[in-house]
Amino acid sequence: MRVLVLGLGAIAALAVVATHTTACVQIPDQGKQPALATHVVDWRDEVIYQVLIDRFADGNINNNFGVRPGALARHQGGDWRGLEDHLGYLQEMGVTTLWISPIVKNVETDADVDSYHGYWAQDLTQLNPHFGDLASLRSLVASAHDRNMKVVLDIVTNHMGQAFYYDMNLNGHPDIYIGGTGTTSPLTRVSEYDPDWDARGVQAQTSLGLDGRAPMIFIDDPAINRVPPGCIDTLSPDGRCILGSPRGYHGFGRILNYDDDKQRMLGDFPGGLKDVATELDEVRQVMIDSYARWVELLDLDGFRIDTVKHVEHEFWQVFSKAVRQRLAAQGKANFLMFGEAFDGNDELLGSFTRPGELDSVFYFSQHFQVFRDVFQNAHDVKAQKGTSQIKTLWESRAKSYGSAPQENGIGVAPTKALVNFLDNHDVSRFLFEAQGDVPALRNALTLLLTEDGIPCVYYGTEQDFAGGNDPANREVLWTTGFATTGDTFRHVSKLAGLRRDYVALRRGDTKVVYATDHVGDESDAGVFAFERAAGDAGASYALVVMNTNARHKSTTSDASGMKVNAAAGSSLVDVLDPARTAYAVGSDQTLRLTLGAQSAMVLVPSGQVVH
Amino acid sequence: MMPTSVAVRGALAFALFSARALADDAPAAPAEALSAPAAAAPSPPAAPAVAPSVADAGRFEFGSYGRVRIASDLRGGVGRTVNVVANGTRIDEDSYAELELRREDTWKGGATTKVVATLALFSPFFHFSGRPEQQLAVRNLFVQGSVGSLTLWGGSRMYRGDDIYLLNWWPLDNQNTLGGGAAYAIGPDTTLAAHVGMQRLDNAYQSQQVLAVAPFGSGTVAVQQLDRPRTIESVKFTQLVRNGRLFQDPKAGFKWVLYAEAHQISAGVARDALTAQDRGLPQDYGFLAGAQLGIWSGERDTHLNLFLRHARGLAAYDPLAAPQTFANDKSTMGTTESLIALGGNYEKEAFGIVGGAYLRAFRDGDPSATTTQKFDEGTVVLRPQVYLGQHWGVGGEASFQARRLAVPDPEQTSQPLTASLWRFGVMPYFSPAGRGTFKRPQLRLVYVATLRSRGAQELYAAQDVFAQRSVEHFLGLNVEWWFNSSSQP
Repeated sequence: MRVLVLGLGAIAALAVVATHTTACVQIPDQGKQPALATHVVDWRDEVIYQVLIDRFADGNINNNFGVRPGALARHQGGDWRGLEDHLGYLQEMGVTTLWISPIVKNVETDADVDSYHGYWAQDLTQLNPHFGDLASLRSLVASAHDRNMKVVLDIVTNHMGQAFYYDMNLNGHPDIYIGGTGTTSPLTRVSEYDPDWDARGVQAQTSLGLDGRAPMIFIDDPAINRVPPGCIDTLSPDGRCILGSPRGYHGFGRILNYDDDKQRMLGDFPGGLKDVATELDEVRQVMIDSYARWVELLDLDGFRIDTVKHVEHEFWQVFSKAVRQRLAAQGKANFLMFGEAFDGNDELLGSFTRPGELDSVFYFSQHFQVFRDVFQNAHDVKAQKGTSQIKTLWESRAKSYGSAPQENGIGVAPTKALVNFLDNHDVSRFLFEAQGDVPALRNALTLLLTEDGIPCVYYGTEQDFAGGNDPANREVLWTTGFATTGDTFRHVSKLAGLRRDYVALRRGDTKVVYATDHVGDESDAGVFAFERAAGDAGASYALVVMNTNARHKSTTSDASGMKVNAAAGSSLVDVLDPARTAYAVGSDQTLRLTLGAQSAMVLVPSGQVVH
Repeated sequence: MMPTSVAVRGALAFALFSARALADDAPAAPAEALSAPAAAAPSPPAAPAVAPSVADAGRFEFGSYGRVRIASDLRGGVGRTVNVVANGTRIDEDSYAELELRREDTWKGGATTKVVATLALFSPFFHFSGRPEQQLAVRNLFVQGSVGSLTLWGGSRMYRGDDIYLLNWWPLDNQNTLGGGAAYAIGPDTTLAAHVGMQRLDNAYQSQQVLAVAPFGSGTVAVQQLDRPRTIESVKFTQLVRNGRLFQDPKAGFKWVLYAEAHQISAGVARDALTAQDRGLPQDYGFLAGAQLGIWSGERDTHLNLFLRHARGLAAYDPLAAPQTFANDKSTMGTTESLIALGGNYEKEAFGIVGGAYLRAFRDGDPSATTTQKFDEGTVVLRPQVYLGQHWGVGGEASFQARRLAVPDPEQTSQPLTASLWRFGVMPYFSPAGRGTFKRPQLRLVYVATLRSRGAQELYAAQDVFAQRSVEHFLGLNVEWWFNSSSQP
C-alpha cells in the first residue's frame, strides 16, 4: 500500500505542476480588435520617425524567411515585434509618431531583389509574414498608443507588384530577350516583365510585324508568392478580384518620361510594378475597402501614400472623402493622409492638397532647395546656396499649398502641415551627399525640428547613417546596439524636447527675419533666422537663428541688421545652449548674434523658458 | 506462435521487461505515428522470463504488423486523412507495414538472447503509385540478452510503453533511437528500466555537410559542418499491484508507472544556404516527467490507462520531429508540453467498446504570443462493436477533435482560431481469429463522414478542396494484421 500511495502522490503532483504552468491559448489583449479612437490633437505636435520595418529591429527570428544578412537588396529580418521592443529608444529620442513601411503581402522577390521594403503588393488583404501577424502588429500599435505615440501606415494605390507579364512575343511565357534586327530596327533589350512605355499599350509583335496589344498574363508562382492578387471576398462576388484581372491595369509599359503627363499617370512604375486603373470605380472601391480595413483592424492614425503624382486627382478626391467618412463614423477623427510625390515642383506637390484631397504632402521641394542646396552642400562653397533660397521657397508655400483644412481632415491647413524631411528611403542619406559632414546634419536637424510643419526623421539618421542610394540607404539599425549616447541622437532628442516644450515651435506662424545670398567669406554668410509666434501659439515666441556656413563664424547683421518682433530690451535665452546664454534685444528690436560655423540658437523670452 | 489473448501476450512481455518497460518494439513510427497497437495493459504474472535450459537452443521467427487501405472520397478522389490534431482517430490512417525477422536463443546457464530486425514499409505501395521505389526503413536492429533479473540490449530500437490503439499513439514514452538500455526486475511486480539513445536527423537542425577543397588532388570532399546529435536518457519505474492484493479477482490488477526523460543537444555551426555564412546554434536541453495509472480486469482485453506527461524545452519535441520554431537565441527555451490521456477497452459477450481521449497543451519558445505552434488540442473517440458470431462484427465510431491555435481567427480576429471535426463511421468487418478488439487479422469495410468546422477549413490553402468543403466522406477497404511480432503485444 505504501508504494501505491507513493505512486499516486507523484502522479498527482505532476498533474498539479502541468495544469498550473499551462493556461489555455488566447489572443493577448494587445492583439485583439481595438476600439477606434482619435489619438491626435494637432499633427504639428508630432515628430514622425520613418521606419523601414525590415531594417529596424529583429524581434523574432522565426519569421526570418530568406534572410541574407549584409545583402541590403534582400530581407534582413526586422519585424513589428522588433519595433515594439524598442519603442523606448524612440521615445527617448522624442519621436511621437511611427511611419511604418507597407504591411501587406508582397511578391517575394523579383530579378534577384527581395521585397523587404514592402512596396511590391500582391494581396492588399493579407499581412506580410516576414514582419509578423495581425496580433503582433496590433500589439505594436497598442503599445505605441500606450506611450502616446501614433502609427502611420505606408500604403500604395498607384501600382501592384510584378503580378503579370506582357506576352509580347505570344509564346506563353515571360521572356527577356533582344528585339530588333540591328539593321532595319535597333537592337533593344526587351523584358516582358517591365517593357518600355508604348502609347498604344504594350504591343505584341513578331518578325512579321505588330500583333496588337500584348496579353497581360498573370503569373502563378507560389514559391515567391507571385500569384494573382486577391481582394476582400465581399468585393468579388464572381470570385475574381479586379486586381487579379487585366481589366484592373493600364498596360502601357514602364514610364520613360516623367514629364509626360500620360506616361506619369498611366505608365508602370519602374521595376515592373503594374499601374492600376484607378479611374475604375471597382478599383477605387477595392483601395478604399482594403486600406480602411487595416485602419479598422489596427486603429491606425494615418496614411503615408506612395507615388501620389501617378494617380489622377479624381481618385484622391474619392478616396480621401470615403476614408475620412468611414473612419469618422467609427469615432476616428484627425486621420492624417499625406502623399509622396517625388518632385521638386511646388505647384505639382500642392495640387494634391487641393480641397477634397490630401491633408498634406512630403515637402520635396524643400528637400531639394533647402536641405540639399543649403545644408548638404555646406562643404562645397561652389554648390551651396544662400539662405535666401529658404525664404523664397517658404514664401511660396501659401500659394502652392492649400490654406484651408480639408473637410473632415486633420483640422490644419496643408500649408501648415507639410511633412518636412532631410532624406528618406528613396534618396541617398543626408550624410552621404554631405560627404560625412555631421555638423551640417545636426544643423539641418535643427531646422527640421523647429520649422513650420510636421518633422519626419528617417530611421538611422540619429545614428549618423550615411548610406548612398537605394539600397545602401536602407542599413540595418540593430548593428548600432540602439545606442542613445551619440551626439546626433542626443541632438534630436533635445530638439524634440524643445518642440514639445515650446508651443511656438509647433504651432506658431513663421516669419523669416534674416536670410542672405552670401555663402562665401562674407560676415553673414550662411545666416538664417526665423521667428515662430502667433498663429495657434498664443503668447509663445521663439526665434531660431542658424549659421549654415561650414567655414567661419557669421553674424546676423548686414546693413540693416536683424530686426525681430521680440520686445525691445527683452532678454532671449538660447534654450539649445546648455549654458542657457541670454541675449538682450536692442532698443530698436534688433539683435546682433554671432554663431559659430554650422551652429544654431533657439531663443525664447526669458519668461517663457521651461526648466 | 501468436499468443491467443492480450493477457497472455502481456504476460510474456512482462516476463521480459515488466509491462513493456522495455516495450518490445511496438510497431513504432515516426512523428505521425504510423503504426499499430501495442497492448494496452499489463497482465498477470508470468513464468520466469526464460526457463533455464540444459542445452543451447534457438530458432528463427518471422512476425509482422501491417495495414493497407484504399478509399474514395465519394467525389472521385482518394479518401484523405482529415485530422486536425496530432493524434486523431486512426480509422482512416494510411497504409504501413513491418516485417520482422528474429533469432531467439536460450543458452546453457539460462541466459537468453534475441536478435531483432524489423523493416518498415511506407505508403504508397507500388500497386497504387506505379513507382517501384519503395520507402523502406530499418526500425529495429538490436540484440537483447537476459540473465536472471537483468536484461540488457543495444542497437536500433522502437522502445516504448502502452499505447492508445484508436489514436495509434504512445502518450507516455515512445523512443526511436540508436542506443542501449537495461532493465532490472527488482521483484516480481517491480521493474526499473533505463535507456540512453542518440539520433542525428538528416535535417538542417542537426546535420549538415558542406563541400571543401580536397586535401589531395583536385575536386571536393564532404565535411560534416553541423553535427548535433540529440542524446536522450530515459528511466522508467513500474509497479504492479495484482494477484489479489488490490482486487478480489486474481486476474485483475493495477499498475503505476513513473517515467522521465532528459534530452541534450550540443552547440553547432550551420552554414546558411542563402548566404554561405556560418551561424551558431546553441546547446540545448529539455526534460520530461510522466506517469501512468493502469487497471485491467484480466477478462479478455478489458483495461483502462491514464497517462500524464509534462515536458520542457527540447524534450517537448518528439525525437523524430525537429523543432521548427525557437526562442530568439535559437534554443527551445520556453517550450512546454502538458498532456493527459486516457485509453481503454471493455469487452463482454457480444459487445465491446474501445476508446481513447486526450488533452494536450503545447507552447513553443517563439517570443510571439501568437504562433501556430502554441495550441491546445484534444480528442475523444469511441468505437463500440457488436460481434456477430465468432468471425464477424460491426463497429461504429464517433469522435470529436479540436485544436485551438494561438493565432487570430481570420473572421473573429480577437479570438484564437479553433479547428474542429466531428467524425462518424461505421465499420463492418471479418475477424477470422475470433471476437475481440485486438484480434487480428481484420478485413474491414469503412465509411466515415467528417463534419469540418470553418476553422478546420482555414488550415488549408485556399486552392485545396479541404479549404472549401465542410463535409468529407471516406469509403474504403482496410485490412490490418499482426502476428508473432515483438513489436506487438
